[in-house]
Parts: sequence; structure tokens; C-alpha cells
Amino acid sequence: MKLIKKSDQVIAPGTENSMLQDNTTLDASAGSSMTRREFLHNSSLVAGGAALTTMFSPSMMKKANATAASGSGAVKEIKTVCTHCSVGCGIIAEVQNGVWTGQEPAFDNPFNLGAHCAKGASVREHGHGERRLKYPMKLVDGKWKKLSWDQAINEVGDKLLEIREQSSPDSVYLLGSAKHSNEQAYLFRKFAAMWGTNNVDHQARICHSTTVAGVANTWGYGAMTNSLNDIHNSKAIMLVGGNPAEAHPVSLLHIFKAKEENNAPLIVIDPRFTRTATHASQFVRIRPGTDVPIVWGMLHHIFKNGWEDKEFIRQRVYGMDEIKKEVAKWNPEEVERVTGVPEKEVYAAAKTMAEHRPGTFIWCMGGTQHTIGNNNTRAYCVFQLALGNMGVAGGGTNIFRGHDNVQGATDLGVLANTLPGYYGLSDGAWKHWAGVWDLDVEWVKSRFDPGSYEQSKDKDVPVMNTKGIPVSRWIDGVLEDKANIAQKDNVRAMIFWGHSPNSQTRGLEMKKAMEKLDMLVVVDPYPTVSAVMHDRKDGVYLLPASTQFETYGSATATNRSLQWRDQVIEPLFESLPDHTIMYKLAKKLGIADQLTRHIEVKNDEPVVEDITREFNRGMWTIGYTGQSPERMKLQQQNWGTFDFTTLKAEGGPCDGEYYGMPWPCWGNPEMNHPGTPNLYDTSKNVADGGLTFRARFGVERNGVNLLAENSYSRGSEIKDGYPEFSDKVLKKLGWWDDLTAEEKQAAEGKNWKTDLSGGIQRVAIKHGCAPFGNAKARAVVWTFPDPVPIHREPLYTSRRDLVEKYPTYEDRKSFWRLPTRYGSIQARDYSGDYPIILTSGRLVEYEGGGDESRSNPWLAELQQHMFVEMNPRDANNTGVKDGQDVWVEGAEGARVKVKALVTRRVAPGVAFMPFHFGGHLEGKDLRHKYPEGADPYVLGEAANTAMSYGYDSVTQMQESKCSLCRITKA
Amino acid sequence: MARMKFYCDAERCIECNGCVTACKNENEVPWGVNRRRVVTIKDGEPGERSLSVACMHCSDAPCAAVCPVDCFYTTDDGIVLHDKDICIGCGYCFYACPFGAPQFPSDAAFASRGKMDKCTFCAGGPEVTHSSEEFTKYGSNRVAEGKLPLCAEMCSTKALLAGDADVLSDIYRKRMVNRGASVMNWGVQFKKAGIDG
Amino acid sequence: MAAENRHNSGRVRKIVLFCVFSLLVVVTVPLIPYAIDAYAVAGKQASVEKVAALENPAINLWNDVRQRNERTQGLTQVQGVDSGVLINKAGEDWRRFRVEQLVPYGAWFMGGILGAIVLYYLLKGTQMMPGGPTGVRIPRTTLNQRTAHWFTAGVFWLLAVTGLILLYGRFVLIPILGSEGFAVTASACKEMHNLFGPLFILAVVAMFVLFIKGNMYNLGDLKWFAKGGGMFGGHVSAGRFNAGEKTWFWLVIMFGSALCVSGLLLVLAALVPGREVLSLAHMFHGISAVLLIAVSFGHIYLGTVGVEGTLDSMTTGSVDAAWAKAHHDQWYAEMMNDSAAVEAADQEQGSGLVEGGVAKPGQAPGV
Repeated sequence: MKLIKKSDQVIAPGTENSMLQDNTTLDASAGSSMTRREFLHNSSLVAGGAALTTMFSPSMMKKANATAASGSGAVKEIKTVCTHCSVGCGIIAEVQNGVWTGQEPAFDNPFNLGAHCAKGASVREHGHGERRLKYPMKLVDGKWKKLSWDQAINEVGDKLLEIREQSSPDSVYLLGSAKHSNEQAYLFRKFAAMWGTNNVDHQARICHSTTVAGVANTWGYGAMTNSLNDIHNSKAIMLVGGNPAEAHPVSLLHIFKAKEENNAPLIVIDPRFTRTATHASQFVRIRPGTDVPIVWGMLHHIFKNGWEDKEFIRQRVYGMDEIKKEVAKWNPEEVERVTGVPEKEVYAAAKTMAEHRPGTFIWCMGGTQHTIGNNNTRAYCVFQLALGNMGVAGGGTNIFRGHDNVQGATDLGVLANTLPGYYGLSDGAWKHWAGVWDLDVEWVKSRFDPGSYEQSKDKDVPVMNTKGIPVSRWIDGVLEDKANIAQKDNVRAMIFWGHSPNSQTRGLEMKKAMEKLDMLVVVDPYPTVSAVMHDRKDGVYLLPASTQFETYGSATATNRSLQWRDQVIEPLFESLPDHTIMYKLAKKLGIADQLTRHIEVKNDEPVVEDITREFNRGMWTIGYTGQSPERMKLQQQNWGTFDFTTLKAEGGPCDGEYYGMPWPCWGNPEMNHPGTPNLYDTSKNVADGGLTFRARFGVERNGVNLLAENSYSRGSEIKDGYPEFSDKVLKKLGWWDDLTAEEKQAAEGKNWKTDLSGGIQRVAIKHGCAPFGNAKARAVVWTFPDPVPIHREPLYTSRRDLVEKYPTYEDRKSFWRLPTRYGSIQARDYSGDYPIILTSGRLVEYEGGGDESRSNPWLAELQQHMFVEMNPRDANNTGVKDGQDVWVEGAEGARVKVKALVTRRVAPGVAFMPFHFGGHLEGKDLRHKYPEGADPYVLGEAANTAMSYGYDSVTQMQESKCSLCRITKA
Repeated sequence: MARMKFYCDAERCIECNGCVTACKNENEVPWGVNRRRVVTIKDGEPGERSLSVACMHCSDAPCAAVCPVDCFYTTDDGIVLHDKDICIGCGYCFYACPFGAPQFPSDAAFASRGKMDKCTFCAGGPEVTHSSEEFTKYGSNRVAEGKLPLCAEMCSTKALLAGDADVLSDIYRKRMVNRGASVMNWGVQFKKAGIDG
Repeated sequence: MAAENRHNSGRVRKIVLFCVFSLLVVVTVPLIPYAIDAYAVAGKQASVEKVAALENPAINLWNDVRQRNERTQGLTQVQGVDSGVLINKAGEDWRRFRVEQLVPYGAWFMGGILGAIVLYYLLKGTQMMPGGPTGVRIPRTTLNQRTAHWFTAGVFWLLAVTGLILLYGRFVLIPILGSEGFAVTASACKEMHNLFGPLFILAVVAMFVLFIKGNMYNLGDLKWFAKGGGMFGGHVSAGRFNAGEKTWFWLVIMFGSALCVSGLLLVLAALVPGREVLSLAHMFHGISAVLLIAVSFGHIYLGTVGVEGTLDSMTTGSVDAAWAKAHHDQWYAEMMNDSAAVEAADQEQGSGLVEGGVAKPGQAPGV
């Protein structure tokens, strides 16, 4: 779509004189924000001294003799990746004299072909950063006071050490972020380990934790199996509980390609007629929280008509018979009774999916954020297994992750239940990572609370092996009676390192918790709602972090591809990159040496590439080992050589590699594994990105073989299922001698996950085998509360008639260190006082808690008011007109004052609120509480203030998609 | 002679507003002035569609016809531009335009209008190409760099296209052929979905 | 006396109502063809685009929108005037009105009237007072009335000239001044028009208050109309104001009001929701202005070179008895009965010292 050049006055693309690093010429521009107008203004003054003719006098016809080229200094093009959602759109930033003056579409980036949504198209505003938090600040007597970095780090550090002394390291909660780069996320998790706590978590807990748990427990890895680009191969697309048109707009580029070129039907199942649903071939409206019934309803027809892939199930699936038994209960009448969907619709959807194979299954937070989220995600997996849609191009479970690096932050273990790479918290895991870190594991252990919080087999479990408090429950970690918490003391200090509190439910209790804390620290480019939602007068610190455009590093997109970001501009104002802040704090806390033992530190900034190399050395489980900084940078420079559909480079320096080396990228970088574009795809060699289901759950259960039968990846020398590889397996197979002498030394007594030489993986792959074995996927997860996914009514349900048949769980006394309520809430009938089902979701203009995007005027202008979507029927019953103010009162009594948007997007009896707003609380505007000049352009009530209790039975995912409310005229 | 046009494919537009912010980004248009907008008709109902609208650079532009000071001109590429030095902010173009393209900054004194602002097809204005005056008054001039308007270049689903009318026709025709191949593929089956009941 | 007054006031009310109604008819009837035309044009336009659809997908897109449903009102995240309106259907009508009707017909109409007057003058010349001035002065207007008149006249012409420049300057002045030169003129005209426009409201109100007396139609006016104001059918008798003058008065009041209301809307555009109101206001503004300007040509002609002695009533405030007898015989008769007033006028005329000393019957001379 290029035009013929019309003018010769083209700005020459940058000669590589790196003005960016040349500090002498930067005085005016670097480190401070500047708009392009200001930039042009200044530069033209510099260039010719010609004053701009402003427009104050009407109709001045004088044409200024302006210099032809705008601004001096060459334009430098910098490649980076959008920092909003996980699609991973490539961005080309034009930088002149250190000022971000232009943004060009990256037409040759294989993920987005230059396409952007509202957020991506406006990232250049990050170069202005007008509403950023500009200096370290602290709250003194209710007023914000500026601090120096040293002072801030000292004060925060002293307090942390004091709490550590008085209580335990576990009284400090380290809340990380999906906005960190992989390197920062890794360093953050390591920081928590050095500090001695597992009270570390991030947003993945409240977005896809049930996916990760459910999917990983079904077939091995908890991630999107294919890719957005692979949807091009789909013959049908099933989309449940997702609105990618708003949450992942660029993904529609890929979906539409399948839809238009393959004539693939798009089936959207959702309680809400979304902007995505409007483009569907079939839209199925379900009652919120009835995902399992609708999926079982479809499977009912599939099994009844024999449409399932019997051979695939025989070879590669365990436990489908038990599923069949459960599915049999979901006859069309029962499905309609529970979901509200008539039989013919369910049948049509099932038939479409059966007749159009391979079909892909996409889900998002509509499926995950439930008390039975893990059941939902496993039901989706079972659906795909039944149709044999797994491990094929065009099939798979394409789970769209949320934030730009939520996949990476999850993989790198910013979680309360695992170390990086899903190694867990076992002694083995600690030993592995202590080895990678070159630390004595006993030293690491000494950092933790010496006591014990729980027992296993009548033995005290050391704290370092105990799961921490998940982020969804930190409030309870503060507020719950000390006696009821399975740790030494309550949480006393919270460190919000890139987290919006308004993305979490139970707003009023959170306010209370914030007020009870000894100290609240916010490390973020923006003050966030954490700065204002409480009534604290002191003990709050705001530390300005840089955005990802002001530093560099890698990020993992939703499809497991790692992309390298280059630095666009210098950190604005006094902000510092997150890893620099981590280092400074570590230095203060006395753990800097251990944190960066093999990482070079320059001027308090750990060298990013060294961090990458360090996790490369340890992340064997999921193949984060092959993506060296050098390979990632090379791919980034040549992203145009990768195919739009296969993601494979054709020719060029990355020939044969898949874009972003989607993990698992086996072995060490020298092995040059291309990455795995589609998980569990047996049609390829493992060395070329093929894979089998992971042998993660043993080899046999109740006499049934758990390994694959007659199914293996192409080129495999073992023509059947096999267990995961270890030194013993290699020896047994007679492949031990394929290892080099050095590898043998390293691999002795190790397995594919812990062999730091990578030899075991190399040899397994050499023989065509997947290092993690070749097993069946399990449709029944016997370790979960509901081995077969079943339906349970939400805690706050309007369908009391279903509670008896589909009750929730019983209350649990200690679950992730905390008492957790289920049945005691469901026992009470709230549906009389709160008749409307309340659900929540995203808007395209905002991201997450919205502090960043609401501070971007280009975005904020498009969504100026928080609203609640109401069906005309409910609006009329309430006596509310479109645009009027209403009170939405959640089932736990918290109220939000919002505008009514009367629309048929929602069904009668259902209300929807977007969750990106914050800065108002129960009708009060908190704008005056922000540090001056750092208040977002748009404030509004946080939807989650009104959202109620409810947590997933496996992962503590919050229930934010299905609660009850009452709406009244304000 | 090339004839530049915008075309928005309603079957692809998802109201992501990428075009709107791309325009803001490229031209640094102030708050309150929107050269482009996305309009959704039949919101939440069967047949809901969104369309991105801006100046359509009409061949026989109504705005130009009604302008009392004749400040509009059409470039060789068929792009309709105007001269802000001549514009008197009368608002007639806004009455006449079928697409609501002309915008008026609201910060002018006495609630009167400032000078009209509208989509330039990222082709700048009558000032010296790529001068700071041109950027300040009209925004970017991508056409002179051999590029197309950023809104279309950044469209998330390639719904919004910009370029020579003949090329657009070809793209559109190809899409129609693809879509025509399937009977069941287009349009939500609302009867079945029960949304209209 | 009181009863008679009451009777009179009832009749006055009826007449006022009648006048208002007839003026409304006068105003709206000419618009009907526009409406019909616009409607027909819209239909034609659509079919033309349909034929052209294959050539340009952009046209086809809008066509699709129209075909799918009639609704063009939608939702948008952009806040602004009519942002949610996908297609401004009224825009095309308005463009046609302005470009194809207001501009050409307005020019023809105003030019035609002006031409006719010039022609009439060339043929007939000035209508002299029969028998020449008598020297006897009869007071006709008060100082307030004259002030109001000239104030109105001043504001009216300021607005008329600036308005006409905005309407026709593109065709007349751009070739002379050049685009940019004209831009300055036009900008100044627009600012003046907007700034002084509100004064015209004062003017119309003042005119109404000060001149309403004597400007009520009566039965005798029918005769006056029938005889074309004396152009044919011989002399017509008239009171203080003849039917022609009354009509001018009512035109000023009615169209003046229309100008004021529509003008106010246009000046305060930012406060007006929706551009359809504005374009409608603009239509009324244009039609009213063109009509009023055209008729004012006649008024000016008759008040100056057309009829000898008329101008006096708006300069000195008194008229010659011969003029009064010739044009307003009934009024003349009334005034002659009220000799005091005539004397006062004579005195003033004679001395020239008493400024503004024209007495109204029943009012003390001097202010």
C-alpha cells in the first residue's frame, strides 16, 4: 500500500548516529517529556530562529519561510513491541534527538502486519508522559512530599527490615507485574526468593491462573497451544468467554482471515452480545457462569452422534469414558434449564464444530474468572480432545492471555506457588535454581521464616516449600485474624510493583486492608489507584518506574513467542527501570550480591542480557533455554522474513526458525532449536517444533496406561508412548553415550528438567523424542477437587432452584494459607435483594486497571465515563434512561455510582461493567488525592468495588464474572 | 491520475478506535477535535455494524461548494484540503458535509468557532511541505513521504483502507468473492441465537 | 370612550393575528418548492450512486449503510456535535439550498427589484408634491422614532453588507482581492456580523414599540392594495401610514425577528445541539435577509428620490402639508384639526432652534 513518492522532501531514514546515547546533545530533550509540537517548535527555533507564526490573528495569510525539513537530527527507527495486550504487535518508533517523534506501522511484523488497536496506535504518547509519576514521593500528613531516590530506598528498606525483624519475611508482600519484561519478572521472582518469601504473585493469578492450572494438568503445559497466526488454518473457530474485538483487536485480523478465506464459521458463546459476537456466524447467549453445561451440552450431541475422534482418543486421551458419564447427564433439556440455550442452538454449534475440522477453541477471562474456573478450562480442553483438534495446525486451544507479558511473567514464576519455569516449590526445585544462581541452597533457606505453617504426612513443611498467599487474597492476608492465617503474622507491608488494585474484587475491604498496613509502596510509572483509594495519612511511598519503552528486554506474547524490545527513549523525569529499582532495593536489604552474582551491574542497572542468559540456563522445563538475547535480537531485526501464517522464516539469517522461538525452544542456544509453533503437533520432528503430550502424571493409573499408544511425533525412534527423559532412561535406551563427556558429568542423576548442560534434551531430540515424554492427555485430573469438570452454581447465584443440584464447594479452613469460604456464602439467598447478575470485562481503549491508558489523552477522550450496561427491560423497570446516573450495589453492599448505558448487548437480568476505571469511590471523586499533575485524565468508579467474594477451588482465581447486584436511580 | 479514497469494510470493522488514536498520534490533534470517528449502528442488535468515518475526500465536495471564502482545494491525488489562513470558521462546511468531517476547536472565545480542522488524508496542507507550520496547522504529511494515512495503515483488521480508488476496488472485490463462497458464513444467525426474541 | 377602546383593542388583536398569519403564509409558501425539490433530489442522488457502485467501493459502503437500514444514528466514543450521526442527510439539502437556490435566486431577486426600481425611476422620475411644498409643516415622527429608524437602518445595512459579502464575496470579491485578501475581508465581515448582530434585536424591538401605533391594518388598506398603492386606479386615501408602509413595518418586524432568532442560534452555535437546527436557522436567515434587503430597496427609493418630501419625516420629523395631503389624506385631515401640533412644527421649522421639538398630539413639545 505504498504510494509513489510525490515529494522529494522526504526525511531520510536515520543514519545510525546514535543520538540516543550521546548525552551531550540531549540536555533539552532526554529525560524530560516532549510532544512533537514542542519538539518541532524548539527545533525550528534552533534551525533557523524563525519564530512560528501562531494562529492568534484571524486569517493571517503570511506564509512563514520555514525550513523545509522539520527538526534537526536524523530520524532513528527503533523496533519494539506494544506494551498493552499479549498479541505482541510490533512497533516502529521514530526517534529524533532522543525525542519520540513518530510511530510507523510495522508492516512486516508477522503478528500484526502493522495493525494496531486504539491502544497500540497511541503508544507514542508514552514519550509525552504528562500524567506520569515524576519523582519518588511519600505521604506525609496526608500531603505528597518529594523524595530523592536514595532517601526513598533507605526509608522503604529500613521499614522492610524492621518488619522482617518483628514478624517474618512473609509479612512483606511482593506484588509483581505482567508489565515487566521477562528479565525483570525473573529478577523480581529471584528477589522474592532472596528476601525469603513465597508471598509473591502477579496479575496472572486473576486472569488466567485457572487456565494455566487446568490446561497444564490436562496435557502438560499451561499455555496457548497454537498461535494467532495459526488460526489462519482453522476451519472453524469457537470463542467462549472472550471479546477479542476489544481485548485483543489485532487477533481479529487473523480470525477474519480464516473466516473469509477458509469460510470458517465463527461461533461466539458469551452472556454478552459483544463487538466480537456481532461478527460471528453463530452467537449463543448463555447465562453467566454456565460454561461447563454448555460445553457438556455440545459434547452430548457429539458423543450421541459419534462425531468424536475415536482413534485420537484411543491413542492420546486418558479418562474420556468418565467424561462421557458426566456428559450423559447433560441432556438438552437440562442444558437449556441451566444455560438458557435451546437444544437446536447447542446442536448447531456442536455440528458445526464436528463438521469443520480442524477447529480452534479460544477462551478468555469469561471462562477463567469463576469459582469453578479450573473446571471450565478443563472442559474446553476435553472438547478439543474429543474432536481430535489437538496438536494440529488450525486446531488447539488458543487461549488469549491478557497483558503484554503475562505469559512471560507466569513462565518466569512471579507466582506464589512456583519458582521460574513451573518447577514448583519442592526441595528439588530450590536445589535446581540455587544451582543456577550459584548459591548455597541452605543460605536461601535461611532467608525464610524458620518456622513451619503446614504439615504434610505429619511432618512440618518448611516455609520455603509452602505456597504463599495469592494476590487475589492479599486483603485477607492483612485483615484476617492472625490465628486463622497459616503464617507467622499478617501481611504488614505491600509492595505494588506494577499492579492496579482496582482490577481486584472487594474494593471496600481492600481499602480497609490498605489502611491497616504498616507500609504501602507503589512502584509504577503512574501513581495508580493504590495512591488514593485509602485514607492513609502516611506510610505510602510512590516510586516512579520507567515504562518498557524506556528500557529494553524480552517479552513473551500470548503464543509463547519471545520478542526483543529495544529502548526507544531515555527514562522520563526521575523514573528508573524496574530492574534498577530492584537492584537498589536489594543493595539496601543486603541481598544485592546474591541477586546479581552472575549478572553484570552497570551504574546500579543490572545488564539485561545477562539476566536473559541466566534464566536461559535454568528454564529447561518449558524450553526458555534456547532464546538467547542474540537470537532474539537477530529475529527482531529480521522479523520481516517470517511467514505470516506458519511464522517460519524463509531464508535470511533466521532461516527455519519460528518467530519468537515459541517455547519450548529446547536445549541451549547453540542447539538452534527453532521453537515450537504448535504444541503437541506430532506431524513434525521435535527438532523442527513437533511435540507429543507431556508425560507429567505418571505412566499408569489404576492399571490404565497413561502413555500414548501408537502415537508419536514424526521421526521418533520410539514408536509408542514413553516416559520423561532422565539419565536412567537414557542409559536404559542405550543413548547415554551420545552425551559428551562434559554432558555426562552434568547429567548424572539429573533429568531433562534439571540437567544444566542440556545434554539429556539434546540426545532425546536427536532420537526424535520429546524430552518430557510421550503420554496421553488426561481428561480427568484426579488431583483436583473435581476430577471430572462439573458444573457448580456461583456463590452469588440468582438461580436458587439449581443450588441443590449443583452446589458449590464446602468452606476450606486453610487454602493457600487462608480460610476460604464457599458453601457458607451460597447458603444464603441474595437474589431477592440483588436480582441482577453482574459481570465485568474490558474496553478496547483501556488496559487493566487503566491508570496508564486513562492517563493517555488520546485514549481517555474516547471513554470519559464509567458506565454499566443494562438491558432496556431492566432500565425501564428501574426507571432509568440512557446516560443517567445509577447506583450499582453489589451483593456485599458496596456501591458504585456510574452512568447507565441502555443496550441490548446484555440480556435482561444481566448487567455489565468495564473494570478499567478507578479514582472514584462510592460516589466520591478522589482526584484531589493524587500527587499534583499525576492524576489520570479520566477517573471513575472501579467496577470491582462492587464485585464480591469468590475464589477458584484450585488457584484462588477471583470470581469477577458472575455476581449479583441491584441497580437504582442515583 | 490517482484518486485517493478511504474505504471502510463494515464486515471487518470492530470499533477498536485504532484509527481514531492513530490520527491523534500522527497529527497531534487536540482533545475535542476528532478528525476520525467510528460509528456503530444498531448497537447490541442483529445487524450491528461499525464504520470508521472521516473526510471522504469527495470528488465534488459539498464543503467546497458552500465555503464562503473558497478555502478548499483538491490536490492532484484527489485529496480535499483546505487553507486555514483563509478559513473564517463559519461552519457552513459542517452543515453541508454528509459525513460530519469538519471539526471546530471548542476553545475559541465567546463560544464561537475557531478555524475548521479536518482529515487531510495525512497530506498536510498549503504550507511548505514538512515545515513546522504545516505540522502545527494541518498535521503530518505522509503522502509526501510516499506513505498513506496512518489510520488506515494501522487499522487492526485492515477494515479501513486508503489509497487509489482502483486499488481499493480490487481489494474489495477480492474480499467479496471470498465471502460469497459461503452461504452460512456471514451474518449472525440471530433467529437461532434467540437474540431477537 | 372606554367601551369604544375595548372594542377597538379587540379588533386590533384580530388584525394582528390576521397579519401574523398571512405573513407566515408569505414566508412558508415559497419554501414548499424547495422542500419538494430537495426530496426529489435526494431520491435521484441515491439511484445515481447505486449505478456507480461498482466503480468505487467507498460509495458502495455508504450505499450499504443506507440499504441495510434507514437509521444513520448510531453510537460513537467520540464526543462532539452529532458525532453519532453516520450520514448527515440534511447536509445535501442545505448545500443545494445555499448553492443552487439562495445564491442565484437571491441575486436575481435582489437585482431584479433593484432593476425594476431603477427602471421605474427612469420612466416616471420623482413623484413631486402636487402643487409644490406649502411650507406648512406637520409633525410626523418623534425623535425617538427617528433615532430608532436610523439606528435600525444603520445596523441593518451594516449586517446586510457584511452578510452579502459573505454570501457573494466568493464570486465578486475573490477575483478582485484574491483568496487571501478576501479572507481578511470575510473574516472581518464575519466578526462584525456576529458582533453587531445582537444590536439588530434591539433595533427590531425598538421599531416595534415605537411604530406599532398606526401600523395596524384596516379595511381601507384593502382598497389601497387593490389599487396598487396608487400606481393604477387613481388616488387612494390613507391614514398616517398607508398599507404599503404598514406592510413594510410588518415585514421588518416579522423577518427581522426571524433574522434575530436564527442569527442568535448561529452565533451561539456551540450551545446549539445538532447541526440540523443550525442549517435550518441558516435557511431562515438567508431567506429573510434576502427578502428584507430587496424590499428595503423599495423603501429607500420611496423614502428618498421616489417621492419628494418623504425623507423629511425621518430627518426633520415633520412633513409638508402638501405631501401629507397627497399621500395620507385622512391623517392630514386629523392633523389639521389638531392645529397646535402643526403650529409647533411650524415654529420649530422656522426657528430651527428647538431640537427634537416635534410634538405628538397630546404631548408637550420639547423633551
